[in-house]
Amino acid sequence: MTVLLSLRGLHKAYRGDAAPFALDVPAFDLAEGEALALAGPSGSGKSTLLMMLALATPPDAAEEFTFAGQDITRHWRAGRRDALAELRARCIGVVPQTGGLLPFLTVEGNIALTQRIADRPDAARVRALADELGIRAQLGKRPAALSVGQRQRVSIARALAHRPSLVLADEPTASVHPELADAVLALLKRECAAAGAALLVATHDPDRAARAGYPVLVCETHAPGADGIARSVFARAPLAEAA
Amino acid sequence: MLRLALADLWHERVLFLCSALGCAAVLAPLIVLFGLRQGVVAGLRAELLEDPRAREIVSVVNRTLEPALFERLAADPRIAFVVPRTRALSATIVLENPERQGNGIRVELLPTAQDDPVLPGLSVLDQDELVLSATALQRLGLSVGDRVMASVARSRGREREVLTLPMRVGGVAPLAAAARDAAFATVPVLLLAEDFLDGTAPADARPASEAEARRRPFAGFRLHAARLEDVPALDREFRLAGIEVASRAEAVAGLLRLDRNLALLFVAIAGAGGAGYLVSLGVGLWAQVERKRRDLALLSLLGLKRRALLAMPLIQAAAVALAGAALAFGIAAAVATVLNRAFAGTVTGDRPVCLLNAFMAAGAAGVTLAGALVASLLAGLRAAAVAPAEGLAEG
Ligand SMILES: Nc1ncnc2c1ncn2[C@@H]1O[C@H](COP(=O)(O)OP(=O)(O)OP(=O)(O)O)[C@@H](O)[C@H]1O
Ligand SMILES: [Mg+2]
Repeated sequence: MTVLLSLRGLHKAYRGDAAPFALDVPAFDLAEGEALALAGPSGSGKSTLLMMLALATPPDAAEEFTFAGQDITRHWRAGRRDALAELRARCIGVVPQTGGLLPFLTVEGNIALTQRIADRPDAARVRALADELGIRAQLGKRPAALSVGQRQRVSIARALAHRPSLVLADEPTASVHPELADAVLALLKRECAAAGAALLVATHDPDRAARAGYPVLVCETHAPGADGIARSVFARAPLAEAA
Repeated sequence: MLRLALADLWHERVLFLCSALGCAAVLAPLIVLFGLRQGVVAGLRAELLEDPRAREIVSVVNRTLEPALFERLAADPRIAFVVPRTRALSATIVLENPERQGNGIRVELLPTAQDDPVLPGLSVLDQDELVLSATALQRLGLSVGDRVMASVARSRGREREVLTLPMRVGGVAPLAAAARDAAFATVPVLLLAEDFLDGTAPADARPASEAEARRRPFAGFRLHAARLEDVPALDREFRLAGIEVASRAEAVAGLLRLDRNLALLFVAIAGAGGAGYLVSLGVGLWAQVERKRRDLALLSLLGLKRRALLAMPLIQAAAVALAGAALAFGIAAAVATVLNRAFAGTVTGDRPVCLLNAFMAAGAAGVTLAGALVASLLAGLRAAAVAPAEGLAEG
């Protein structure tokens, strides 16, 4: 098993006056093609962690942050935003909570968007994904003309269209009704497995994730102590030790 | 990126049209105003320019002006043409058609030289040629190329002597050059007539060469300024030097003042209007970028590089600006047509009161484009700075 993502001693804090928050990840590894659900109550920092893994926000500190063989901490420190954008474009697919589709593009255009940004056009894959996800008939429509569940599926197709090695989904089931939620989680897992992409799903519902066949990493939360800082810890036994 | 930006514009085409219309609504009156200024001034200027007399300055009192003065005048870059003249009294001559002896007429004898602005198209005049006014030509029954006898008479005691020069009609002077019966001749011919009347030349004398003639002092001159703008200054300089001159300096100065005042008025209105225009354009585009912030954040999250991200608002702003400028120019052109029809033949003769040209269109488009790009670049930089973290959770 090859390690795709490896974090050691990562720390991130929001120091607001009202509710200071700190996130710690002592150790966290993800293998290529592996699926995992991150669970925790609201405000536990799931989105914050995903945002860092999406290379969209820098950690405050990290002993190690490697992704796809690249030293992310170094990129952040050197301010190489274009290198990070390039990495996002080629290796990461995201499924935002409510789909995050561009209203001015057709469904087909939205799915092909990641291919265009990564410069890997592949119309056959767009159609194949659309078939797979049951949105073939919607390809010519605008997102506004789709149901919420259909939008979520377009978003999944977009996250996979450019063959990323990691797919990040933040509460992909929050805006769909429970029946659909199970289907979306299952779809995500199946498609990522088919594409060979690793998958991280943030959810506040560990049971549902477990039912859908995901291994679940539950976040350890510590209520504000004497310093008034709420702490969250995401810890996962390093792959090397587990193996 | 271009396709993405244009797809967005097309998707929101009503909004795009509104922005472009808003842009055009402020820009069109400015273009019309500018066109009016151009038209009125250009019309008056053309009216003055059409008349070669407008740039003319003539000395009116007989003096003794040395050749050095004429050399200086000829070397002055502000003076396009200068010709000396003899004393006004001596400057008449009797012309006769050799075929109709005894029917001579007395005409004014005026000096001319090569490239006289008053006689356009008659660049070279030989010493034995005369350019006649149309009336004189008609009364003599002559046409261009015909022979004509020119004579000057003097009395010596009781004796009457006549200097007769056989000449040819070299051309017809336009009405603007001479209203009365007149004949234009080279300077040596005028000089000979004067010398003969003064008694310093015999009756069988012939004109000297041009170079020889120019070595003598003259009583006055006629000159034409190179540009209309030079007339008032030259007029003033001659008066200060004690040379009485007549010119249209007043009219020219009036036109220049009008030009300046209109320019000032325009700058004031355009300054206020233009500043307001750029602000409204900038604010509109800024708002547009703010509205697009979510989309920009998402695109950034999907891995679009900063430069490409910035290109999107810039392309859209450029599209709005160009569409707005084109629309504004279209509206202005329509207004100009109406104005020109309404004011036909009043303010500026048959010339258009409102003058628009491609240069102005390019200028309007350029200013608009520059303003739009600056505004959206600033807004875009701001938007690009917050991306991409906004893209995931809310998207
Ligand atoms: N940009 C920010 N500035 C300051 N504090 C922030 C910011 N983003 C998140 N936080 C704080 O960090 C903590 C974790 O937020 P985060 O969004 O990561 O939680 P979450 O686990 O995703 O919650 P939910 O399940 O409700 O989505 C919260 O206390 C939040 O107030
Ligand atoms: Mg969240």
